[in-house]
Amino acid sequence: MRKRVVITGLGVISAVGNSVPEFWDSLIEGKEGTKGITVFDPSSYRIKIAAEVSGLDPGSHFSKKEIRRLSRCDQFGIIGFREAWKSARLDQSPVDKRRTGVVLGAGSGGILSVEKYFRDFYQGSGRPSPSLLVSYSLATTTDLIAMEAHLKGPRSTTATVCSSSSVSMGVAYEMIQMGLADVMVSGGSDSLCEVSFSGFSSLKLVDPESCKPFDKRRQGLVIGEGAGILILEELEHAARRDAPILSEFLGYGICADAYHLTSPEPNGEGVERVIKIALDHAGVDPDEVDTINAHGTATPFNDIAETRGIKRVFGGRAGEIPISGIKSMVGHCLGSAGGIEAAATTLTLKNGIVPPTIHYEVPDPLCDLNYTPNHSIKKDVRVAISNSFAFGGNNACLVFGKYSSE
Amino acid sequence: MKDEVFKKNPHSTLGTPSSRKGHRVVVTGLGIISPVGVGREEFWKNCLRGASGVKPIQRFDVSSYRSRLGAQLPEIDFKAFIKPANLRRMDRIGRIMVSAVRLALDDSGLELGKEDPNRMGLSFGTGLGSSDTVDQFFRSLLRDGPTGATPLLFQTAVPNAISSHCSIEYGFKGVNITFSHKETSTEMAMAYACHLLREGRMHVILAGGGDELSEPLHHVYSMLGALSPGKGKGTEGMRPFDQERNGIVLGEGSGILVLETLEHAQKRRAKIYAELVGAGMAGSTDGLLRYDLDGDSIAQAMSLAAKDPSAVDHISASANSTPDLDRAESIAIRKVFKERTKEISVSSLKSMIGEFDGSGGIRACAVALALYHGMIPPTIGTQNPDPDCELNVVLHHPLKRQIRSALLNACSNGGSNISILFNRYVSS
Repeated sequence: MRKRVVITGLGVISAVGNSVPEFWDSLIEGKEGTKGITVFDPSSYRIKIAAEVSGLDPGSHFSKKEIRRLSRCDQFGIIGFREAWKSARLDQSPVDKRRTGVVLGAGSGGILSVEKYFRDFYQGSGRPSPSLLVSYSLATTTDLIAMEAHLKGPRSTTATVCSSSSVSMGVAYEMIQMGLADVMVSGGSDSLCEVSFSGFSSLKLVDPESCKPFDKRRQGLVIGEGAGILILEELEHAARRDAPILSEFLGYGICADAYHLTSPEPNGEGVERVIKIALDHAGVDPDEVDTINAHGTATPFNDIAETRGIKRVFGGRAGEIPISGIKSMVGHCLGSAGGIEAAATTLTLKNGIVPPTIHYEVPDPLCDLNYTPNHSIKKDVRVAISNSFAFGGNNACLVFGKYSSE
Repeated sequence: MKDEVFKKNPHSTLGTPSSRKGHRVVVTGLGIISPVGVGREEFWKNCLRGASGVKPIQRFDVSSYRSRLGAQLPEIDFKAFIKPANLRRMDRIGRIMVSAVRLALDDSGLELGKEDPNRMGLSFGTGLGSSDTVDQFFRSLLRDGPTGATPLLFQTAVPNAISSHCSIEYGFKGVNITFSHKETSTEMAMAYACHLLREGRMHVILAGGGDELSEPLHHVYSMLGALSPGKGKGTEGMRPFDQERNGIVLGEGSGILVLETLEHAQKRRAKIYAELVGAGMAGSTDGLLRYDLDGDSIAQAMSLAAKDPSAVDHISASANSTPDLDRAESIAIRKVFKERTKEISVSSLKSMIGEFDGSGGIRACAVALALYHGMIPPTIGTQNPDPDCELNVVLHHPLKRQIRSALLNACSNGGSNISILFNRYVSS
């Protein structure tokens, strides 16, 4: 028998809020997170916007020495972790640290710091500090979080970029199933950097104005950043320590398109398969799904493929299911996208509110589902799925349920 | 409810009722592209004779570095493995990995036409994947600004590009996952694959990993003082468990294992190299660039992996010629095996292939071959064994020994520790 796994804590840093309450209020209000880039100088780029995290004072979280050593990605991850850990009341319950692990997803990780180093190094301007190079490994944020709370359980980092942090939750779930852990810290953290920004720009996948998922005017994604950290916990363990239970992690799916290095399989066949694998793993019938947190990058092809895939799974009922494209607000946070969206999905289940897809004005005949345009809706949600798709056709889907003790 | 779902969904992962008890997982194919040989036969022959892959680096200019050694791959004719039309879209590490998968598939005798592609998966570990491509992309961005950002380079620069290349090349539509957690990347990929197979969610998973030497990587390791003799004294080189060990030499290559459920392997009468039993994992928190200093977590990982430590005859050590890790791993082995420690033949393949994040695939291939042939490859380069590392290390010459169980250890700086248990395959 599989163990039941529940979500007992959340932490979020995003362009629309630097804590879970602030993030959730912004989502249900439909707040815009896109703004001018300040993390690096965008003046030579045609596009100068991103969903950048603002209003976060590192000084109120870290010492000066720590700020020098921690990459932006590490800072987001640690702050998000602290919120999640506290909200799960793990700071108050004695847990076996050897059975508490960390699996995070990574995107560009601390490349911003490494960029700084190699910029100076290659351009011969001064002697860059080798401490910037610690961020060279995608594992750095994961290790730092483990160190923060002395967690001695299983530890790893997934690296499928745009689906990384969704995938990481699947792996964290399996650590519990394998009997190696009772509690797993999962999700992801990522920060803006020039390498990923210029890369997506070069592929002409970035919208110059705003992120408009499923809208006919959509031109692409807006790069975002932040952290979405979730505490996955074995149900009995959570019940024993009287932990707050926010949702149940019912199952997940991971599969490949085996189609193309950057384009999704156009007919939504890969999307269909991954949703079916996830529902099947969760033991949930498609008819039970009440809402979908879409990958919804707002690239022309992704949104069509995702729409088609959803129709293939849910048939005639597809148009009735409210779909959220929260990347319209928080941007595409790459390595933390799945974590932030899983947090939103959990909050949807807990609060009975489906966040909107903003900037939705002109319907696209090829994207003809209910995307919860511009305004959140109240709905009692019992089962919700969250989609994440990455370059190379790396698909992931997570299934969450409202927790009930039956 | 689950049974109804199963009927409706041809992709069902629930499996048959019998599979819910758990499948046995076996190793049925090995694909190796290593500094000491390409292909299983050449690799194994060279392992047993203690060949060294460590040489002065040729691929890039190392004249400004104190450490100039690397375990480089020989020149490889990728056309022998990959169609020319497909070669064009792959960078070097992509070619290395796709070729290693080709070798593994050929070795396994799997006929892809007869397999359900939805049940064929990939689980990889790598440090950065295309570290050379990332560097090219970045340099061209620095030189030319935004116009220097070339889409072709960017799409192969992501760490999961290597598994995408492989899924596209061979049409594997099942699980597709990439781990990047320093020196434990590949071991996690194998542990995860093993779990999915045990649950019957996949029939076959190609698990393993790889990395390539690149100038920025060499630079980073050099600046962080990890390379022999970047910081240490004495001459350069890999010499695990030696008194004079003074740091790592970076290596490159790829090792891929065909893992499949025993049921599936038997049905197609596959050759079985070994059984993959399971993994233990534990973390230490001694510092971001520190290994587990007291060996407690390494010991815990081994104990969790080997439920019956009395059957363990061989350990493929994580020891990488750094002062801290080799000592900590020795302490951990003694902690777990106590007086039996002297009966356990320990060896570190890193002495031949160098250290890199995706090395676990090649090391696991060697463990599978050791179990299959009853031969343990030696640790080379070590002249004066460190009394702090008191173990029964197989030095210089291979050891003929029937092995019941073997542990593959992986320890990363920063403190992730994974141990994987392989058994000699016995049908029962």
